[in-house]
Amino acid sequence: MTHRKPNAWVVAGFAVVAGAVIGGGQAALEAALRPWRIGDFGPASLAATSSDAPVAEVPETRHEFGTIGTGAEGTHEFEIRNAGPKPLVLTRGATSCSCTVSDFESADGGDEGARKEVPPGGSTRVRLKWRGKGAGGPFRQQATVFTNDPRRPEVAFVIEGTVVPTWKAVPESIALPTIATGAGTHAEAKLFTFGTARPEVLELALADAQAAQFFELASTPLAAAELESEPGATGGFTISLRVLPGLPLGPVRQTIKARLKIPEDVAAELPVEGTVSGALALAGGAWDSSRQALLLGTVSGRTGSRTEVFLTAKGPHATAVKPTVREVLPGTLVVEVGAAKPVGDRGMVRIPISITIPPGSPPANHRCSDQGPAGRIVLDTGHPETPVFSIPVCVVIGP
Amino acid sequence: MNIVHTPTRRCPPAVLAATFALLAHGVAGAARPDRGADVTPATVETFTQRNGGVFAEWPNPRVLIVLTGELDGYIEPCGCTGKENQKGGLSRRQNFLRAVAGAGWPVVAVDLGDQVRRFGRQSEVKFQSIADGLRAMGYAGVGLGPNDLRLPAEELVAAVAPVGDQPTPFISANVGLLGLDANITPRFRVVESGGLRIGITAVLGAKQAAEITNDAVEVRPAAEALQGVAADLQKAGCSHQILLAWADPEESKALAASFPQFDIVATAGGADEPPATLPVLPGGKARLVELGHKGMFAVAIGLFADPQTPIRSQRVPLDARWGESSDMIRLLAAYQRQLESLGLSGLGLVPVRHPTGRRFAGSAACADCHQEAYDVWASSSHAKALTTLEEQTPRRDGDPECLSCHVVGWAPQRYEPFEGGFASAAATPHLAHQGCENCHGPAAAHAAVERGDVRASTTERDRLRQELVLSLDTPEGKQKAVNNCLECHDLDNSPKFDFDEYWPQVEHSETKTAAAAQ
Repeated sequence: MTHRKPNAWVVAGFAVVAGAVIGGGQAALEAALRPWRIGDFGPASLAATSSDAPVAEVPETRHEFGTIGTGAEGTHEFEIRNAGPKPLVLTRGATSCSCTVSDFESADGGDEGARKEVPPGGSTRVRLKWRGKGAGGPFRQQATVFTNDPRRPEVAFVIEGTVVPTWKAVPESIALPTIATGAGTHAEAKLFTFGTARPEVLELALADAQAAQFFELASTPLAAAELESEPGATGGFTISLRVLPGLPLGPVRQTIKARLKIPEDVAAELPVEGTVSGALALAGGAWDSSRQALLLGTVSGRTGSRTEVFLTAKGPHATAVKPTVREVLPGTLVVEVGAAKPVGDRGMVRIPISITIPPGSPPANHRCSDQGPAGRIVLDTGHPETPVFSIPVCVVIGP
Repeated sequence: MNIVHTPTRRCPPAVLAATFALLAHGVAGAARPDRGADVTPATVETFTQRNGGVFAEWPNPRVLIVLTGELDGYIEPCGCTGKENQKGGLSRRQNFLRAVAGAGWPVVAVDLGDQVRRFGRQSEVKFQSIADGLRAMGYAGVGLGPNDLRLPAEELVAAVAPVGDQPTPFISANVGLLGLDANITPRFRVVESGGLRIGITAVLGAKQAAEITNDAVEVRPAAEALQGVAADLQKAGCSHQILLAWADPEESKALAASFPQFDIVATAGGADEPPATLPVLPGGKARLVELGHKGMFAVAIGLFADPQTPIRSQRVPLDARWGESSDMIRLLAAYQRQLESLGLSGLGLVPVRHPTGRRFAGSAACADCHQEAYDVWASSSHAKALTTLEEQTPRRDGDPECLSCHVVGWAPQRYEPFEGGFASAAATPHLAHQGCENCHGPAAAHAAVERGDVRASTTERDRLRQELVLSLDTPEGKQKAVNNCLECHDLDNSPKFDFDEYWPQVEHSETKTAAAAQ
């Protein structure tokens, strides 16, 4: 089979004619909002239709099924009637997900494949089957049926509801993005259950037993009001995680394993991910964390430039941090340290640092290469454990 | 901070070409953006049949608002059934936006947020790449989702910062990176497009705010923060206002009721797919927009001069009809190169102990005694799994999210290696591809005993053998095997997977081998 490209002038001409037709009648057809094409008026809806064409009547295109368990199957039948004088030919179209399938009923009530002819005055049913997928939550899928009714060439049947899992963690994992060396932190997650009985925690443990000494775990049953936030939940726990000081620098990857009785035994897992980093860090558009360098780029010495970054301090000594500039390379950089301000309620502070290359600065090459070694800004911090903080600087000051 | 921002985009070549084509036809404005450049009519027809047509019967809008969100880390679609069968990805999204612009429709693109879903160095690198992509696509407003806000502050601040004289597209009325008064991101933005003045702001909902554990993020209650922003938007004389509410639908509806000035309220917490029609909220003005998950769809809302039909909407499936954007392919290639240069240790992927405590031998070790089963495996797609990643453009064999299902010895759903699992094609070539031990379990001890490298009692030898047996003869055994498969053949990556249909392609068993030998 070969496809000929449509002549552009023909396409354009068609578009102009169609536009004229549409401009006249389309507005009246759509009072407020134009929905997705399928399931409503198709592209041929404005074409002249003869009175002897088949007429597809669909009493219901949307079914709300309530709730379904993960992996469980649901079915629903939609009716299509032929109110016209000619046979209505239906062809099964695509479903929006392979977790959903559609079929026409046959005379004996079974499935009948991809095509169905409905005589004038007759009707048939489209059966949708779906399987609750994923970790739970709102579920919406649709199946398309094509017709030879010129006014309604496509019909989309939609099923909507909620998939209810056996258990669900909110959030899905615990993230600990800001653990300062020598400091601890804490976090919580809610573990909702959807069984027939109030759940019981049979066991709560960490997968990596070697690192377990740095963590404390506790569970508290959720109150009735807290359960309301998760539709269909019948019970659950707040899992509290306390991270003790002493974890080594670098990534933290753990898994909380819970064995629950709801009433059957169920194993739930809650990943814990985080990073233990230094008490002091730099943040800003010019800070490249992969290279661990401040990238000021190539700057004209004639016009100069100004860049602002933030030094953040966290951990038990955060408020003690009061940086002063000890050393700057190239010496033409003007570094000013602003006042510290608290961020949030967990003891973090931010300190603005501005780096100015004044107009009239002499050329300098610190492009962070063999030919131009990195410059630096060295701060005395006041932090008892990190008294000096050095910031590599990549900059080329041109004419 | 009130930024009045009029996008002055550089016109990409594809847009220029499409505009020229329109003018040449003498029917400026008649083109319908229903495909990417260089996409064949057959492809368009296939995906129109499969996922529905777009913009049928639309006259030219004054402005097209394009809403996206909840990308959940799916910077590109992924799957065993072929990318062409899956929806989403930044590449198709850019081509869709270019097609719209090429039709002469002024476009304002906004994104709800949650570019990533996971935590860790790879998500940080990905967030930066996606932020770069959104900038390149000319996004006017981008919200911050709860998973975005789990990333470390230094990464977030670097990713959302203005680039040169281009202001940041990230906005939030109630979220402040390093504190609200640090003003890293503006509270709202006003854009002018198609002669209209459109105000955009974003908020994080109460439930999501309560889950934030990031010390560097300050969140105010959404309604409280919107009081001031709403007043500023009113003063700015906007003809239309958009609220990007990363909140549950109920909270988004409540915000819409409290702030009726918003015409469009995008919400999180919806189903996988956006609905076919946009509900009109009580009051008769605001449209509630769900965006689906994983960036599979964009929702386009056209604003028209026609008083009878001032607004139309279109759910846009981002499928293969849009083709691939070379700009986004380059961005993906840079992302892959960055992952490769960081390596597993640079990505913070420290191997974890396998639940069994055992180590891996590699598939070739199995062939010594299980030659027929090995031959079945060797002729299957599983034995080429890593090659498929190496042969892609850009290659994906440095991407842990891809590797985890294409090599031996990784936790597929955690994207992390087990101790003794695949490290690289150079260091552990015997663990390349989707091998025997991913189903049967680590077999190093078993192989060592059978080879005689390690002495063991008969009882110990039999125990090691038994640990690796997967039997389909009992419901429990079959379920265990199916669950193994589903670790990789999940609904995202292998939506057509059915164990009973797929198993014959890789069927092997000791019983079958013994029977054949007799």
